[in-house]
Parts: sequence; structure tokens; C-alpha cells
Amino acid sequence: MVNNVEPVDPREMQALQRYLQEFGQQVEVYSQQLQLIDEGRMEAMAAIETLKSIGASSFDEEVVLLQLGGGASVRAKIVEPQRVLLNIGSDVIVERGNPEAIEYLQDRITEMEASGKKVAETIDRIRTQMNEIARRIEAGYQQSQSAASQSGQG
Amino acid sequence: MNQISPKVQNQLAMLQQIQQQMQNVMAQKNQYEMALREAKRAVEELADVPEEGNVYMSVGTVMMQKKKEYVVLNLTEKQETLDLRIKSLEKQEKMLQGKFEQIQAQVKQAIDGPGTPSAA
Repeated sequence: MVNNVEPVDPREMQALQRYLQEFGQQVEVYSQQLQLIDEGRMEAMAAIETLKSIGASSFDEEVVLLQLGGGASVRAKIVEPQRVLLNIGSDVIVERGNPEAIEYLQDRITEMEASGKKVAETIDRIRTQMNEIARRIEAGYQQSQSAASQSGQG
Repeated sequence: MNQISPKVQNQLAMLQQIQQQMQNVMAQKNQYEMALREAKRAVEELADVPEEGNVYMSVGTVMMQKKKEYVVLNLTEKQETLDLRIKSLEKQEKMLQGKFEQIQAQVKQAIDGPGTPSAA
């Protein structure tokens, strides 16, 4: 047991608090990224489902409801269900066949899943560091309490 | 507890400011790097499109049909611009890093004291 407890340097405690705050902000940013990736993945999955049902339709010109926003829709005919216009990034759109477009989206989902895994791992790593810092702050606080009570007795 | 001199306090504030600037530069660099990766990927995807294939580009709120050749050229130029911006930000980042280390060393020296003998 330590008898002479050294008072904790408040600057060190302040620095640890600051690190904890910065790590917290980083976790927030990465969590937002993870959410965006997840949303993108869900969107791509929904698009695949739509493309599959459009492609498998037995009608020549399938009628769908084209949503205009605000709950308003108009009837629209899909004149070429086998031709899909696909955004490949950088504001460039190319024409693909229905199965190729599905394949492209599936590849994107795989990539997003890999990115999501990496981001989740980073979040876990930062949280471990945060726990370690919180533990050190707690230990420092205990130490300062002991030092205060010792000086009170002496 | 030793008092921190106004000079050191000022240097600490500068360190914080530089750190903030470095974070901003890094965030901007990340954005440009992402855009560059996206442009490269789009060029790769365009390689599979036939020369006379339908390619559209977003112009304002509409998508205009363009020749594949034009789109590839446009993307290549975009990549070059992004590359230059990234390099410029890297230079800025390096400069800030150097400045940070220099002030950090000065602060350390001020706190530890020049040539302080180790406690016996």
C-alpha cells in the first residue's frame, strides 16, 4: 500500500479529458459514416429487388407509380425494362442491361459491406482507447482524493 | 503547482490552433481523395462501355447525353485537378506538422527547463 500519495498533475488530467472528448468526436464521425454506408447498402438492395421484378415482368410495358414527392405520384410505363441507366459515380450515367446492372449493384454492396466492417473495427479500437483513458482519469481522481485526505490528516 | 507563463500559454493556444488547422486540412484532403477514387472508378467502368454506347453526364439538374470520349476526357481532367489539390494540401499538412513540432519542442523546453539536472 502506498503511504505517500502524490497529488495528480491537473494538466495531465486536463489532457486526458481532452483526448477523451476528441476520441468521442471521432467515434461520432465514424458512426455517421457507418450509418451512411448502411443506408447505401439498403438502397442498393431495394434497387436490386426492383430491377429483378421489373425484369421478370410478363407485361410489355409495365405500369408503375412514379413518385413526385409529397405523396404525389403519376402513372408511368417502363418502355425498356431490360435497359437500366446506372450512375457509376462522378455524375456519370451509363446504360446497362438489367442483369449487368444487378451485378454492378451486388458488387457495390460487397464493397460497402467491407468498408462498413473496417469502420466498425475502427470504432471498436477507439472505444477501447477511450475506456483506457477513462480508467486512467478514474485512477487519477482516486489518487487525488487519497492525497487530499492524507494532507487533511497530516 | 508551477504557474504557466503567458508566453507558454500563448504557445499552447497556438498548438491547439495548428491542430485544428491540421484537422481541417486532413478532412478536406480525405474528401478530395474520395472524389479522386470515384473518378478513377468511373473511368474504369467506362472502359466496358462500347464507343457508341449511351453515356450521360449530370449537368445542373438534368442528365445530358455525351460521347464516351468526352466523358473520359472530362473525368481525366477532373482527376488531374483533384491530384493537384491533394498535393497542395499535403504540402500544407507537412508545413503545419513542422510548425507544430517546433512549438511543441519550445513548450517542452519551457516546462522542463533548459538543461534541468535530473533529480538525485
